[in-house]
Amino acid sequence: MKTASFERVLARPKQSERLPPCGAGCATGADIRGWIGVIAQRRKLGLWNAEAFSRAWRMVTEVNPFPATLGRICPHPCEAGCNRAGKDGAVAINALERFLGDWGLRQRLGLQRLEEDPKPESIGVIGAGPAGLSFAYQMARRGYRVTVYERNAKPGGMLQYGIPEYRLPEDILAAEVGRILALGVELKLGTGIGREVSVAELKAQHDILFLGIGALRARMLDIPGEVGGSVWTGTEYLASINRGEPPALGAEVIVVGGGNTAIDAARSARRSGARVTLLYRRTRQEMPAIAAEVEDALAEGVTLTFLAAPVRVDRMGTEVSSIVVQQMLLGEPDASGRRRPVPVVGSEYQLPASALIAAVSQEPDWEGLEELAPGANWIQSAQHGRIDDALWAGGDALGLGIAGLAIANGCRAAEALHAQLRKREQPVSRARAAIAGNAIKSNFYSDLPRAVAPEVSVSDRLAAPGVEVRGTISEAQFLKEVERCFSCGLCFGCEQCFMYCNGGGFSRLEEPMPGTYFALKHDACEGCRKCIELCPCGYLSAEPMG
Amino acid sequence: MALVQRTARPSDNLAGYFAGGEASRLALSDGSRVGVIGGGPAGTFFTHFLLRLAAAVDLDVAVDIYEPRNFAYQGPAGCNHCGGIVSESLVQLLATEGINLPPSIVRRGIESYVLHMDIGNVRIETPLHEKRIAAVFRGNGPRVSEPIGASGSFDGYLLELAASSGAKVVRKLVNEISWDGGRPQVTSSDGATATYDLLAVAAGVNSQALQLFGEVAPQYHSPKTLKTFICEFKLSPEALDRHIGPSMHVFLLDIPRLEFAALIPKGEFLTLCLLGHDVDNALIDTFLSAPEVKACFPDGAVPSPVCHCFPRVNVVAAARPYGDRIVWIGDSGVARLYKDGIGSAYRVAKAAAKTVVHHGVADEDFRRHFWPACKRIDNDNSIAKVIFAVSGLIQKLRFLRRGVLRMTANEQRRQARRRHMSTVLWDLFTGSAPYREVLSRSFHPEFPAMLCWNLIAGNAVRARRNGSEEPSHE
Repeated sequence: MKTASFERVLARPKQSERLPPCGAGCATGADIRGWIGVIAQRRKLGLWNAEAFSRAWRMVTEVNPFPATLGRICPHPCEAGCNRAGKDGAVAINALERFLGDWGLRQRLGLQRLEEDPKPESIGVIGAGPAGLSFAYQMARRGYRVTVYERNAKPGGMLQYGIPEYRLPEDILAAEVGRILALGVELKLGTGIGREVSVAELKAQHDILFLGIGALRARMLDIPGEVGGSVWTGTEYLASINRGEPPALGAEVIVVGGGNTAIDAARSARRSGARVTLLYRRTRQEMPAIAAEVEDALAEGVTLTFLAAPVRVDRMGTEVSSIVVQQMLLGEPDASGRRRPVPVVGSEYQLPASALIAAVSQEPDWEGLEELAPGANWIQSAQHGRIDDALWAGGDALGLGIAGLAIANGCRAAEALHAQLRKREQPVSRARAAIAGNAIKSNFYSDLPRAVAPEVSVSDRLAAPGVEVRGTISEAQFLKEVERCFSCGLCFGCEQCFMYCNGGGFSRLEEPMPGTYFALKHDACEGCRKCIELCPCGYLSAEPMG
Repeated sequence: MALVQRTARPSDNLAGYFAGGEASRLALSDGSRVGVIGGGPAGTFFTHFLLRLAAAVDLDVAVDIYEPRNFAYQGPAGCNHCGGIVSESLVQLLATEGINLPPSIVRRGIESYVLHMDIGNVRIETPLHEKRIAAVFRGNGPRVSEPIGASGSFDGYLLELAASSGAKVVRKLVNEISWDGGRPQVTSSDGATATYDLLAVAAGVNSQALQLFGEVAPQYHSPKTLKTFICEFKLSPEALDRHIGPSMHVFLLDIPRLEFAALIPKGEFLTLCLLGHDVDNALIDTFLSAPEVKACFPDGAVPSPVCHCFPRVNVVAAARPYGDRIVWIGDSGVARLYKDGIGSAYRVAKAAAKTVVHHGVADEDFRRHFWPACKRIDNDNSIAKVIFAVSGLIQKLRFLRRGVLRMTANEQRRQARRRHMSTVLWDLFTGSAPYREVLSRSFHPEFPAMLCWNLIAGNAVRARRNGSEEPSHE
């Protein structure tokens, strides 16, 4: 019988960077593992804390100029896939981003320019929300003249008018917007298109227009009795509070919806002193709102009623007196994969109410922009938000999404437009699958509990409606939390390969770089596979020998 | 670099040398700190003896063992790379020293060995009962084995024992060694430093730690090493029983560059140890396709190994493995050639511990009290080189092989009272006795006479039987 050649059982390591689940989950596409790694491995890289922090901050602001803002309000899909979740809780990426964002504000760090030479094209941006400001930032740092038109009195769009002060203090947002303006972006507030400036004027002034108009027209419930006083949409209600003109709600407020706007509206209404009941037609499981925010709402005394939909608003005179609610059942899954609510016939009951806030859905508002309107409610854009050579778009006008997605839209559009204008290669979309969870050896990492941010007590929150509910983690917590990152798919210098290799196949680099700590000498490899089996982060994978 | 400042050696710093208060003697005193680099057998034996001897003279010392690796890992990662043969006499000796290897560590009693040559094979029973040998896994077993846990790992057990006797195990890689006012200083990979009154280096020859001493200990020259090959085959219990039995199988085959090879059964695995010059895949392939080797496996087919490594062994001792406040033990100092590395680690570690506690930690103390123990092993290795040259000759010359085979077979068949060849071979292959004993036994007047007779008889019988058809390629 022939003996199989011994060489066939040998395998040598291959160093290959793989996409981590945080990066795959992040809407902005930020290099989360990268910026956490710079801080976690600062000693190996020979960086002082402040150097590491500012380098990490620059990595974050490469795609997201709002780290202090998103660190407060992002539903952090990055944490959902974190491989640490199964061990002792996902890395608190959102809390880390917030610390870093606040640190950047305290240090008065400025946003980095990419290209100094001024470009001839003039860029007009409609809407100073996250998409428009992100686009403006990315264009301005590439040397373009950018003017942003905002019909409201303050910039920020939904960040300014859709998010309550207790989640996002106004000065934080204002400071982060200010940094973008410091790059030379001109901001025209109180300037509605079709109102103060016409589309024709805009087209005459600018070579390129970007639509960051959001989805400001809230949908109503389309039920009898909803037209009249004491009925608001979620965005209307939140905007009026943020303008400092809170409406009188009365004692019994019904909020309808299961998203973040509904939760924000319910919690804001609770802060006005009203009893608040939130109706959602599905169950807690299907709620799109951030889980921690739902918990906060419950803690603050909001009553959550699931499988319930309003069918009629009853009024006494002009005042809302009660809401008729119908019970629902969950049926078959719909296109979104969530189970469709089905009404239960004859299950109607009355809830006493003084006001109704409907936070069910929104769509773009094309008033004054009819010339630019695509015909349908939502913009159907090609890749990177391109409508045509001179017209680009991003944010909620493309479809409802989180602020991070709007920021990413602005960034991608700017990159693609810049490449088009400068006749450079178009950026390629980096659609890669995240590294498989089983490639990570979580046992290698020692147990470290997840950082918990400080919180204001419920009674203090309700006593001072504007007070920020959640605080920023301390620097000590921050430095501990970065240690929890597994660095999935990228070397973090753990030295396992180096210390276990008999053949001396790994040598320490004199000047390590993030993600590069050891050089691999293939001719010294003996194919024993130890390094591959030990590499905790999945950076080393096997390839056949020879 | 800061290293330059810290690298003042004791002799450069006379003030520091005499400032100890303890006259001019470099010795451990109450509160002294000892660093041990490496938590394999040498490091843990040293720690065990140091703490025990120190306690006996009422000396309070603290020991830090630097061992970043985890012996609980399965496969080669958790393993310290050797064939895992421990002679029964060493097991018993360790027991008298308070190191009782539990039955879970000792895999399988080996009751005989089978010598395989191209001209036939012969089974040799344990010559004397106290010369039995045991097989151990250094780590947590090969890949694909049932995890046995720390209680099954020889090295893991010793390290736990050292920790339970009061040593602190520091799970950090040592990145730098320097001198701090005449005392050795260890910098670990997280940047932490610790200064010791004595540093014992037991880093073996398979890590990069020995590269740390170039500048700080110029008198020390690390040992010369040879690459070997060890792998594990997984076999069914029935196949192991039928083909291998409770025997170690030794091969004397005329394969270029092959020095020695043995198959050792351990539980459901079979360990192959291969020594040679420039061991490479070609040599391994040649060996594994030899008919004598294939015959040891079911259906004559060698399965793919589940686990393998190419460990280095110490073949030329380190030069001056000691200095003021520093000593090298185990494979990174002086070790037995090819066999019984654990036994020699034990002897050298014990000599170092005795020196440190009873005499001092100065270069001169090690030279007078530690080096002689090393020297004995080193001298024995010189004899070993002669013996292995002879065994190499036997491997090459078929007529010698016939004589050896016939003499051994006759001794075994007749249950001879004096089994000269059997004993010599047993000791040679198991490492159960010093090489000089092996040599002196072959000086027994009966030995050459018997060998001569067997050479003549063995070759004459063959020649008569085969006539002129006998191939004469030697």
